[in-house]
Amino acid sequence: MTHVRMKMLVAGLVLIASVGYLAVAGVKSGWVYYLHVDDFVQDSSYQDRRVRLFGLVANENIEVAPELLTAKFDLRGESISIPVNYKGVVPDTFKPGGEVMVEGKLDEAGVFQADTLMTKCASKYQSEEHAKRLEEAQ
Amino acid sequence: MNGLIGNLSLGIAVLTAAGSLFAAAATVKFRSDRMLLWSRRLLYVLGLAITVGSAALMYALVNSDFHNAYVASYTERALPMGYKIAAFWAGQEGSLMLWALLLAGMAAIAAHGFRNRTRIEQSAMLGVLALVCGFFSALMLFAANPFVQLPVQAVDGRGLNPLLQDPYMIAHPPLLFVGYAGYTIPWAMLLAALISGRRDNQWIGSTRKWLMVSWVFLTVGIILGAKWAYIELGWGGYWAWDPVENASLLPWLTGTALLHSVMVQQHRGMFKVWNALLIASTFLLCIFGTYLTRSGVVQSVHSFGESLIGTFFLAFLCLCVLLSIVVLSKQRRLLKSEDAVQGMLTREGAFMALNVLLVLMTLATLVGTIFPLISGVVMPQPVTVGEEFYNKVVIPLSLVLLAVMSVGPLLTYGKGAAQQLIKSLILPGIAVVVGVVAALVLGMTNPWALACTAITVVAVCSVCVGLTRTVRQRRKIEDEGPLTATLRVIDGNHRRYGGQFVHMGVVMLMVGVAGSSLFGVEEDLTLEKGESKIVNGYTIKFGEIHQERHVNYLASSAHIDLTTPGGEVKTLHPEIRRYDKTEQPSAQVALNSTLARDAYVTLAGWGEGGSPVALQVFINPLIAWIWIGGIVMTLGAIFCLLPRLIKATAHAHASATTTTKHQSSPHATATVSLALAGEGQCDSQTQTTKTKQYAEAPK
Repeated sequence: MTHVRMKMLVAGLVLIASVGYLAVAGVKSGWVYYLHVDDFVQDSSYQDRRVRLFGLVANENIEVAPELLTAKFDLRGESISIPVNYKGVVPDTFKPGGEVMVEGKLDEAGVFQADTLMTKCASKYQSEEHAKRLEEAQ
Repeated sequence: MNGLIGNLSLGIAVLTAAGSLFAAAATVKFRSDRMLLWSRRLLYVLGLAITVGSAALMYALVNSDFHNAYVASYTERALPMGYKIAAFWAGQEGSLMLWALLLAGMAAIAAHGFRNRTRIEQSAMLGVLALVCGFFSALMLFAANPFVQLPVQAVDGRGLNPLLQDPYMIAHPPLLFVGYAGYTIPWAMLLAALISGRRDNQWIGSTRKWLMVSWVFLTVGIILGAKWAYIELGWGGYWAWDPVENASLLPWLTGTALLHSVMVQQHRGMFKVWNALLIASTFLLCIFGTYLTRSGVVQSVHSFGESLIGTFFLAFLCLCVLLSIVVLSKQRRLLKSEDAVQGMLTREGAFMALNVLLVLMTLATLVGTIFPLISGVVMPQPVTVGEEFYNKVVIPLSLVLLAVMSVGPLLTYGKGAAQQLIKSLILPGIAVVVGVVAALVLGMTNPWALACTAITVVAVCSVCVGLTRTVRQRRKIEDEGPLTATLRVIDGNHRRYGGQFVHMGVVMLMVGVAGSSLFGVEEDLTLEKGESKIVNGYTIKFGEIHQERHVNYLASSAHIDLTTPGGEVKTLHPEIRRYDKTEQPSAQVALNSTLARDAYVTLAGWGEGGSPVALQVFINPLIAWIWIGGIVMTLGAIFCLLPRLIKATAHAHASATTTTKHQSSPHATATVSLALAGEGQCDSQTQTTKTKQYAEAPK
């Protein structure tokens, strides 16, 4: 009986150890910082890695060429903004003034080269309009 | 008027919940059967109140009553009727209403089914159910009220989010909510059994049906959600490890573990602590997932506005965790195992391994989901772990799990299982070598793909070996043809063969996932009018763009001629829709789906005058098997729940009657054991334990 228990214990430990190892490896390779534009620009330590940036699409300087699958725009934070060069499918919900998330790296020219662009879409569960309506109703 | 009815019914629901809880407590305190009766009645009234409230909301939606803020925010006059109805669960408030409705209905059914239990067990169960129902009612009344009235009626509503205007989206959320609501009942049963001090394993049997039903709905819900994401979101995939998706996966993982380990407790009186913890965590994960996705604590593409709801859910979650911990630790003496695992290569050992693996997968998914939260505490900037993390951790674990699953059906309980296994593994062993060699010869070198091939072969062979062995044994006793015998064997043990059917579905799903993620191709194309390009054997030719007016949107659709590698020509129409009520365009995918591969085309944009067009093309091999696997899993699980279908023969009749319901005399029990002795060692063992239980329990 104890023999079986021993075996199970060993098997369990091996399993947990390997999962732990995988988890550490997974975290390392999947590690992406989540930053606001302002934090990113102010702290140079993030500037040579791949990051995910949050910000607003500035109203000026937008060049979208959907047929070429590119979008150039300025990502605006509270005080600073940086130019973004995005290559890929421009989401339906991309619009001036909208909140977006881009993932990529800063190049030598100081342009953020993004390969992922996600808009924070109006949530499935709570539309902004609805929130406004509720406030009005109060 | 409508708002008044709605608010009134919510108010009544909160009051009756409180009343039911109070009466349940009074039942215990004063040992009063009258109080018990009242507690149950009040729970029924609560169900009625929620039903009336839901009907009021549905009435407002269907009749476009734009006095109601919810109706004005999520529907419009021109919306097709189906989507007006579906708008019931398109928003925060309505979806909570649906959850509450399902929960109240199930609570009433469960309370009704519990009428013959002891006073204390009933009252504990009623109290727990009233608590959960009361929480949802109070949540709606105070934090997410679907009956907020606008001071002035809106002229027209804002319309439903275009992404949600899809048939799959009509079905997906309610199915998930059935699952979430359903997992409340086993939790209530667990607490009731522990509080009332039950030592037997009968109660766990009554949780099984609820676990099964909830699991089926959750499975279908998750798969439809994946299908919706695939068809509607237009990025070529179906699962993105988004917090919202993970939130539904977490209880599914623990729920799957439960379906297996509950059987061990039923038959062998083992794994009691596991089961108790799993039942509690499945329910808690449903609540936790909802908290996570609706409170805005985790950044997700589906961003959820921060709101009071988060606080409500967190407080309720803490209360439920505390309640579970207190009851479990106080009554832990009731959870002592009656037997020990006899070895690693036994059925109980496999179930143990399966449980551990599923729990580890749950933990990994949980850690990945809340990683931004954890890292936000220890580091200045929160860190997220992307898809990489899940691919590195969850995928290997699930392959090990699938390997255990594939040999599982060949294992028997207790000692001697290992020898039996080696004998029955000869054929699958040979087949696996042949299969892998064949795959290598055909040029498949990807280790993951080879592992999946091996698992598929073993899984299919194990089922066949197990089935033919049992059929052969049966035919030694019964004078039946091979087909009749096979059908009767399968029909004689729905749980076993339904389960194996589900396993086959899981294997198909694995094939689909592996095929599409390992060998999928993605290409972005820019095509002039009349130009064509080749992607992975498919020729894609762009004709022209034309516009078409629909009820509530304008569609710009591209005419694409797709020539398949087989030489067939198909016409595809990827679209971009502009809905009247939202400024944002919405892309509609065009799909050519076959069992071997899908060609998936989305229209990304076009230049002046309709040319050139930008297209995104995905070739996804084997992806259709994910949906087929989902259907097979569902059918298998339903088969498990069905009663015997074929009328039993005179000989087998005795076994049919005794194993279903009727009180068996000692004589009949003996006959059954004899009759079943031919059904293979593993089966006869479980069946005799079962008959023994029935014989012990007076009706």
